[in-house]
Amino acid sequence: MSNLTAPPTGQKRSLAADWAARDWKRLLLTNRTVMLVALLVIVVGGFSLLSAAGLLKADYNADYLSAALINLVPLTMLALAQTLVIVSGGGGIDLSVGSIVSLAGMIFGFTYGLWGWPLVPCIIATVLFGACCGLVNGVLVAYLGYPPLIVTLATYYAMWSISLVINGQKPISTKPVQELYALSKAVELPLIGQYLPLVPLGVFIFLIPTLLVVWLIMAKTTYGRRLFAIGTNDVAAAWAGISLPRTRAAAYIGSGAISGLVAVVTVCQFASARPDAGVSGNGMALPAVTVAVLGGVAITGGIGRVAGVGLAALLVVWLNAGILIAIEGNGGTQFQLFALGVILVGSALLNGFTNRRYAGGG
Amino acid sequence: MSATTLTARRRERVLPPAVTGQELILIGVIALLWVLLALANPGFLAPYSIQNMLWRLAPVGIMAIGMTIIIVTAGIDISIAAILMVCSVTIAKLIAENGWNFWLAVGVSLVIGAALGAINGVLISYGRVPAIIITFGTANLFQFLGLRIFNSKTVNGLPAERGILGPGEGGRFLGLPIAFIIMVVLVAFAWYYLRHFPGGRHFYAIGDDERAAALAGVNVRRRIFLAYLVTGLLVGLAAAITIAGGTSTLDQNVGKGQELVTIAATVIGGTSIMGGRGSVLGAVLGALLVQTVSSGVTQLGWPSQLSNLFVGLFIVVAVGADLIRERRRKAKL
Repeated sequence: MSNLTAPPTGQKRSLAADWAARDWKRLLLTNRTVMLVALLVIVVGGFSLLSAAGLLKADYNADYLSAALINLVPLTMLALAQTLVIVSGGGGIDLSVGSIVSLAGMIFGFTYGLWGWPLVPCIIATVLFGACCGLVNGVLVAYLGYPPLIVTLATYYAMWSISLVINGQKPISTKPVQELYALSKAVELPLIGQYLPLVPLGVFIFLIPTLLVVWLIMAKTTYGRRLFAIGTNDVAAAWAGISLPRTRAAAYIGSGAISGLVAVVTVCQFASARPDAGVSGNGMALPAVTVAVLGGVAITGGIGRVAGVGLAALLVVWLNAGILIAIEGNGGTQFQLFALGVILVGSALLNGFTNRRYAGGG
Repeated sequence: MSATTLTARRRERVLPPAVTGQELILIGVIALLWVLLALANPGFLAPYSIQNMLWRLAPVGIMAIGMTIIIVTAGIDISIAAILMVCSVTIAKLIAENGWNFWLAVGVSLVIGAALGAINGVLISYGRVPAIIITFGTANLFQFLGLRIFNSKTVNGLPAERGILGPGEGGRFLGLPIAFIIMVVLVAFAWYYLRHFPGGRHFYAIGDDERAAALAGVNVRRRIFLAYLVTGLLVGLAAAITIAGGTSTLDQNVGKGQELVTIAATVIGGTSIMGGRGSVLGAVLGALLVQTVSSGVTQLGWPSQLSNLFVGLFIVVAVGADLIRERRRKAKL
């Protein structure tokens, strides 16, 4: 079996074997990437047809889809944060990401907006601060043995409270912060850009680097292998000489650091450091967990791929964009909730089904 | 080891102590906080202040009963805030816009709560999917449902005559809020049922070791299904109390964050998130502690958001104490 050399993604038979055997159902169900691409085609194709038939409030075209990518940036990054934590196993989940985004955003607001530090040290400080928040979670979970759900619930409360109190509930939107809005504008790609729609700048400066780094860490480093090992079977991993606490705590630190970077993204997007940025509405943890699960990350740990998570985020963003212009009035945001719920329950049931039917769906 | 301590230990393993250490500590902490708050602000122990606090305790306490049963079976329910919202808006719409009798509307709320709980129960027990994922998903679906029922920003013109469950003069019996009395009765019943009835013990068996419970003849799926159903029902009741205390308008934020408050109260009360251990008495004490802190923070003139910081700290301390006790218990065995 190839699992000796490749990280365990849960696939017992290769993509090529299913393709050769023309076993379409199995290919679709066990290979999450294939399924997500198929769903993506259905969603984009379906809405394009509706758009062509004139049933939508606005055009569902390449420009619209490209503009919607601005929502992809924070969603994908936080879903990757959840992926690290969930893959580490032991009931891993991070409910505190929204609060970290709020609090780290306020730190960014203070350093950049009020104290006038240069931009790059501010970003580094914000990411480091997020990592420190993650360290608190990680120490409690990995070294002291707290259940992740409870720890991150507690830190969610604590950091939410601090971010509201720290500046008397007031947002920081001084001139330098407002000028950061330029970072979330759409730009033309070099060379081939004239043939393509404008793409939000955040995709290049925040999203793609994060995707690459997380993919490299999870798929290409020793640490990634250790992470999958402790997520699959922590006792066996410990006997194999892997430091369980250190590896697991690092996943939470990574999650915190990514949340810190997302804080910078949201401050740019709102042109203001808002103390409730990460906890308003439905918060940020829920959509991120949804995307991770949809992307094929097993909630029990040890299974998950960056490609699946990225595709799942793209699917959710483009689906939401379609719903928004398909439904009159403010009903659109309500149906987005409905879609998110159906997707999460459906993909969880599907994960369970493929695990039983084919013994391990990736 | 003498024979008497051996039998004592055996009995202890079959039946947990009536009041656990965590609950005694909680009572102590709450008493201490009350004394300190009374010293800082004599108005804290005024009858009005206490009555108001007990009334506000009632909905959280009632939901915490259900949450305790669920967490004891090693599950969790994130969707109760959304169920609370659906039930509240249904009651509000029925009495304000359709002229229904309040109690009839409460009946509908109980049915809806139970039905939504049953959806969770079916998906979790028969779909064999982790409860946290399913209830995260159904939370979205129920919220969608609630917002569709709302159909606008607010429900206006709620009539005033729903005083029996309310915090006012009409909602008191012997000076205690009737909503609080209902909660106490439900807690007493649930405490006795979970401790002394086979059906109640089965929840603990499932939480401790689901497979062993199934081999011992427990109908695991039905028990888990029931836990979520009962929780939905209790949330329906909590919605009635919430509506009874509200002003004349109900907005879409109703219930927001209640799932986390309830889970916090439950784990502060010593219920283990891993399942198999916990009591409803502890959950209510946990809810009272949270309530005391939020009242206290306001009365001391601190920013009210600061209370969440204390809730977070209490969770860490309470669960930490529980972890230490669990390790000692394991070391003894």
